[in-house]
Amino acid sequence: MTDTWGILTDITLCTGCEECVKACKVENGLGCDVPRRWKRRIDDLSSTRHTTIVRQPRDRFVRQFCRHCLHPACASACIVGALRKTPEGPVVYDRDRCMGCRYCLMACPFGIPKYEWESPVPYVRKCTMCHHRIVKGRVPACVEACPEKATIFGTRSGLLAQAKNLIQREPRRYLPRVFGEKEVGGTCVLYASGIPLDFLQFRPEVKETPLPELTWAALTKVPPIVVGMTGLMAGVWWIIGRRMQLAREAAREARSASAGASPAGEKDEEKTA
Amino acid sequence: MNTRLTVLKTVLWTIVGVLAVVTLARFFRGLGSTTGLTDLAPWGFWIAFDVMAGVALAAGGFVVAAMVHIFGRQAYRPFARPAILTAFLGYVAVVVGLLYDLGLPWHIWHPMIFPQVGSVLFEVAMCVMLYLTVLALEFGPVVLEHPLLQQSPFVEIAAILKWLTIPLVIAGIVLSTLHQSSLGSLFLIAPYRLHALWYTPIIWVLFFVSAIGLGLMTVVAESFFSAAFFGHRLRMDLLSGLGRAASGVLFLYAGLRLADLTLRGLLGSAFDGSWQAYLFWFELLMSALVPATLLAVERVRSSAAGLACCSLLTILGVAGYRFDVCIVAFARPEGMSYFPTWPELAVSLGVVSAMVLVFIFFIENFRVCEHEPEESEQPAARPLSPLDPYDPGTMICLLPDSIRAPRRYSLAFVVGASLAITMLPDDALWGAQAKGQQVSPVRAVDGLITKRADAPGHELALATHRPLVKPGAETAPLLMIDGNRDGRLVLFPHKSHISRLGEQRSCARCHHQNMPFDRNTVCWQCHRDMYSTSDIFSHASHLEKLGGNASCLRCHKNSREARTRKTATACRECHKDMVVEGSFVKPPEGGVAGLACGYLDAMHKLCIECHERSVQEKPNEYTALARCATCHRGLGGPVLRQMPPYATDLQPKPEHDARPPGR
Repeated sequence: MTDTWGILTDITLCTGCEECVKACKVENGLGCDVPRRWKRRIDDLSSTRHTTIVRQPRDRFVRQFCRHCLHPACASACIVGALRKTPEGPVVYDRDRCMGCRYCLMACPFGIPKYEWESPVPYVRKCTMCHHRIVKGRVPACVEACPEKATIFGTRSGLLAQAKNLIQREPRRYLPRVFGEKEVGGTCVLYASGIPLDFLQFRPEVKETPLPELTWAALTKVPPIVVGMTGLMAGVWWIIGRRMQLAREAAREARSASAGASPAGEKDEEKTA
Repeated sequence: MNTRLTVLKTVLWTIVGVLAVVTLARFFRGLGSTTGLTDLAPWGFWIAFDVMAGVALAAGGFVVAAMVHIFGRQAYRPFARPAILTAFLGYVAVVVGLLYDLGLPWHIWHPMIFPQVGSVLFEVAMCVMLYLTVLALEFGPVVLEHPLLQQSPFVEIAAILKWLTIPLVIAGIVLSTLHQSSLGSLFLIAPYRLHALWYTPIIWVLFFVSAIGLGLMTVVAESFFSAAFFGHRLRMDLLSGLGRAASGVLFLYAGLRLADLTLRGLLGSAFDGSWQAYLFWFELLMSALVPATLLAVERVRSSAAGLACCSLLTILGVAGYRFDVCIVAFARPEGMSYFPTWPELAVSLGVVSAMVLVFIFFIENFRVCEHEPEESEQPAARPLSPLDPYDPGTMICLLPDSIRAPRRYSLAFVVGASLAITMLPDDALWGAQAKGQQVSPVRAVDGLITKRADAPGHELALATHRPLVKPGAETAPLLMIDGNRDGRLVLFPHKSHISRLGEQRSCARCHHQNMPFDRNTVCWQCHRDMYSTSDIFSHASHLEKLGGNASCLRCHKNSREARTRKTATACRECHKDMVVEGSFVKPPEGGVAGLACGYLDAMHKLCIECHERSVQEKPNEYTALARCATCHRGLGGPVLRQMPPYATDLQPKPEHDARPPGR
């Protein structure tokens, strides 16, 4: 597989200044956060906030944003291909294709895609890793804005090596794993952290199987079901039709043999059938 | 006249009236203002009921078609047409329900031009679309039998459709098998959200088998409906046969489900005492075990009451299975519960009511049921007498029913619509409103000021906030600015700002208000909401001060214009000293006033503008002054919650946090 772009966030360096949030809002023209019925806190991820800082005990700050999975569940779920994994790495959204079924919101294991519930013409909103900037050779706005260099941009394999190097050099500062290396088949967004990041997903433990494989396992059974079911039904129809025809002929012969006998036998047969 | 049917139709038309109003609200105000959906519960009642349960309820169509046409059970032929009509209307209801649920329903045709073979939803959409076509063709001959259509093109079409019966039936069975099961496969993508008692790799088999059981029992329920409202005879011998088949299928479903849990070693979690475990058993007993056991008993399934109870249990139970998978057992973080709003329920109920009305229309006008009701019940068969159109008590002329019925139903529709308008939630009328967040006053606290070692400036901390106490810290009184007390506060060194901005004369730079007889108006008296603007103009007090009704023209000068805030004289035309000289605050543009911006905007604008200016003027001295973190220092919420104002603030909330996870 060719290498993709990625973002590495070092949780131990983040001071929670929210410069990345500010830059993201300016870059994507997101406007103000408004307290709504469907938000728990004003700084939850929402259609107007694609990245946010989750505050953890003892002044740890964790930046939450789209993980840009290598095998994105949202893109595999999307019925019209509005969400799409680009070869550069980011998972991007095409609003002209979207029909608003919100299956992506159901599918994402990290709860990232957000909906514009307040609008009569709502779209899905999420981080696009500033795809429009990447293709022009610029780094994402959040990375550019980070004053602590806690969130950095690069090739995924390069960042992974860098993170492993960091962890190896200071094993007491970091947990011995790179978050995003293997979860759901790996993500473009990586974290080096001193605290567990299980609060970023719905269940504490996430396996390595890419989620699209789970639905694909069911989808591969479609062709055999079509062929098998059609064959079975046609066969049953032919066999039962043939048997009924034979039974009718037998009854007619029996009747003509003993002319005058009542046709009650045939009626009974029909009832039991 | 069949009064029972008339009452039913009147009720249905009332509900359709409610539906009409809710429809307008849904499409003009959006999903957020009419439903209880959130980002964490993106699929709600409409998907669970209209789509998931609706498709399963309509499974009767393909099950009966298979029994009659493929397996040669000709005795069940009387059920075929009503079952296919129900299935057809059921699928129309599914699509209509979906139009309400989709955010951009005018893009519903997009799957046809942007096919995605990797998406289960794409397969479901294609199958539902094709099956709806198949059902329309299967039902076609019934419509084409109508006396009006006994002429050239229609007779030939009917002949072709009749010839195509078997291929159509087989296509229907295959398409149904695919999408009934795929509705379950949809949830295979969410192993970390759907509870382990419901998530299984064979969920698609469970969906398919339970749909067959439900389909059989829906046919039974439909027969009871026809019997109650059209006086059709109940064919108990045939119905009990359906009951026996359903019993077997439901046992198979329950067996598969329990065997799957056992084989995957998860049966233990069905007895762990969690609410999900209780829900699992309740659902499984109701949908399968109880009705299947009852139906296995000859006496129960040959009695009308027994059959009716079992069919109701199965319908509620299997629909409940769909609800559990789609909503109840689908994980959400604490504090994000989902409960449908009444407009959501009204849409589902309204779509079903509309479909029942169409069903009644077909029953009344086409030969759907092959056994006709007795002639005596037909109103047309009553002998006409000259006195008939008069009410015997009042001698008032009564209109014939053909005119009275539409009038009655229109009235019901209007009554329903007006009821709905009066009950519509505010959000549904005016669009989703922001939640109000009252501002709390600023408080004085004991703080610590430390000179920074690495950069110019000072670091502030609360005296009680141990982790941030550093050597060389000096105690000082600070102001704690935390309008909504969410822990993201700013510690404000008032004293140092006074000295920096020019001692006594500096007050007016920030404290801009100059109200009449003002002593010290605090910020939050005008900037009352954290995020949204608040109205601070008191019309009544202006009337009183300026001389009652005679004073209107003082502000609303042009008598030909509408008297609104926009056309009135700007506040500062009279209150010339409202914003004092040398203040950082600029008077609002255009002069329209009487509205104070939100507290957050007020504070930010006042502070950040000045800070940015300082950075520009002295870039060496103030390096990071305009950054958020400079004022919002790392004062994490968890630490603050142990401190006095927050500890008391948070006390009434524990029961909010104690909710079971996932609800």
